[in-house]
Amino acid sequence: MPVYFLEIIVVTLGLLMLMVDAFAKIEDKRSIAWIGMVGLLVVFGLLFAVKWPESADGAFWQFYSANDQISLFYKGIAVITTIIVLIMAVDFRHIVVAQTADPEKGAHPQSGLGEFFALPVFACAGLMLMASANNLVSIFVSLETVTITFYILVTYLRRNVGSLEAGVKYLILGALSTGFLVYGFAWLFGITGSMQLAEIASSLADPEVNSAAALFAFALILVALAFKVGGAPFHFWIPDVYQGAPTPITAFLSVGSKAAGFIIFLRLIGPFLASDVLAEKICLVLAAIAGITLIMGNLAAMPQKNFKRLLAYSSVAHAGFLLMALASAPTKSAVGSLSPAMVVTFYLGAYLLMTLLVFLVVTTVRNSIAGEEIDSYKGLAKRSPFLAFMLIIAMASLAGIPLTAGFYGKLFVFKMAADQGNWTLLIIGLIGAASGFYYYLKIAVPVFFATSSDDGSGEEISSIPVSAPARVAMIILTVAIIAVGVNPNLIITLFS
Amino acid sequence: MESALTLDHFLILSGLLFAIGLAGVLVRRNLIVIFMCLELMLSAANLTLVAFSRFNVQDGQPNYDGHVLLFFIITVAAAEVAVGLAIIVALFRSRETTDVGKLNTMRN
Repeated sequence: MPVYFLEIIVVTLGLLMLMVDAFAKIEDKRSIAWIGMVGLLVVFGLLFAVKWPESADGAFWQFYSANDQISLFYKGIAVITTIIVLIMAVDFRHIVVAQTADPEKGAHPQSGLGEFFALPVFACAGLMLMASANNLVSIFVSLETVTITFYILVTYLRRNVGSLEAGVKYLILGALSTGFLVYGFAWLFGITGSMQLAEIASSLADPEVNSAAALFAFALILVALAFKVGGAPFHFWIPDVYQGAPTPITAFLSVGSKAAGFIIFLRLIGPFLASDVLAEKICLVLAAIAGITLIMGNLAAMPQKNFKRLLAYSSVAHAGFLLMALASAPTKSAVGSLSPAMVVTFYLGAYLLMTLLVFLVVTTVRNSIAGEEIDSYKGLAKRSPFLAFMLIIAMASLAGIPLTAGFYGKLFVFKMAADQGNWTLLIIGLIGAASGFYYYLKIAVPVFFATSSDDGSGEEISSIPVSAPARVAMIILTVAIIAVGVNPNLIITLFS
Repeated sequence: MESALTLDHFLILSGLLFAIGLAGVLVRRNLIVIFMCLELMLSAANLTLVAFSRFNVQDGQPNYDGHVLLFFIITVAAAEVAVGLAIIVALFRSRETTDVGKLNTMRN
């Protein structure tokens, strides 16, 4: 099956879900989400049956990269993330209905829910296209497909002040970063006379190239991408947006859009590093941004009391580690047989597992507990030992404790920085990782050592129900985290 | 007669447009005005693309790749405005304000 069929299938699936929502008379709109999940599982299976084209001639392949194994891995990330986001969205449906349902007489009691399930599928198609984009035009179009879908999803709870506020902030800053990106693309096109990344790379490698203009274009693109992935000093929107957005969408943002941002980062940085004149300066700038991101993300995470806000700063901190890996790119140093691109990819794979697991727990708990404050997790171990165990595994992996996937992610990044001789960055990274142990594991205190009756509300200690799909997804993710923590080659073989 | 307009003129103009747009986004408080300034930034990028296309002559023809991206930018900007204005209207309905300074219920 040709590789571009994957995106076609996903878009068709999204349209199908919208059609079912609009025309089929169904009582329970959850079935729309089931259609999406089953369809995406089929697409995930088809990822292993892809046939690459024999020749990359023809106009289409100037926009879509042929013979690119790593892009399949990123497509897999997009599909898995979307499936789990749909599982969370089903659990989250009561809140969505309460905030969006049409009060008119005769309207469907779950009106507004169908689109909430269909839009992530369209975002998934954008993410998949982005993984294969090899041309400034296709990069731009796929990035905007995802971003505009996210504008809607973040603002989806239209009667909730927090969601609206988060949506407006995301809208303004997302559009601002788009402005920087296209202006940077325009200059890059002006310098090199081409839209294709391969041709741009060969033009920039020419020592005659105007290096001041090339650096200007790089700076503009860097600002835009730092916005997207949450690199300091452009990370300030992340806490508010993550806190205000519906929880499943927060998970989608923190995994899907981060992975997408980094694959575009990897692709766009390649041409600049082809030039010896530029490579050194770019490495320095990236190292500076990585350092600031690590410091800002980790220090700001420590005093947080809201769990979603804590996870937002944690995602900034993880962006710092990923940028640290990118900053080591120029020398093509390798950890064993791993290139910097592979280290970033591995880290993202591990990050996907643990972040989705945390958000699954948060969404499930949110159905039974009103708040998202860390204090409201008091006595979780008594109410649901299963959820408490999952939460601790995920937090341990985020912190990077050995025998979890997160450990190898950080280890590879640190080893690469050490090989590169980036000692300052390495020390900042180690301090960041150490502070991570504090703020990730402090959640264990309310979960295990306090009871929910402490708050004096007299609330009964009841168990927390976990829906069957969420339970299956959590168990699979936990097994994957520990399996990868024991043998990191499980992920590495998927993309090399 | 030699043409008086060179690439530099276009680049300076588009640079100014971009700077005005960026300054507007950073300084103004009204969401609608901020949104207009964002569109100005996209227009600056469009102007840059057309200018580079026109002056990057290959075989006597302008390099039309720039125009392709330009049309996509116009389309995407239209979609962005459609979604963006809907979001601003939804915000105005619940908060009765379009002042970004008042969007601070989450800071704690």
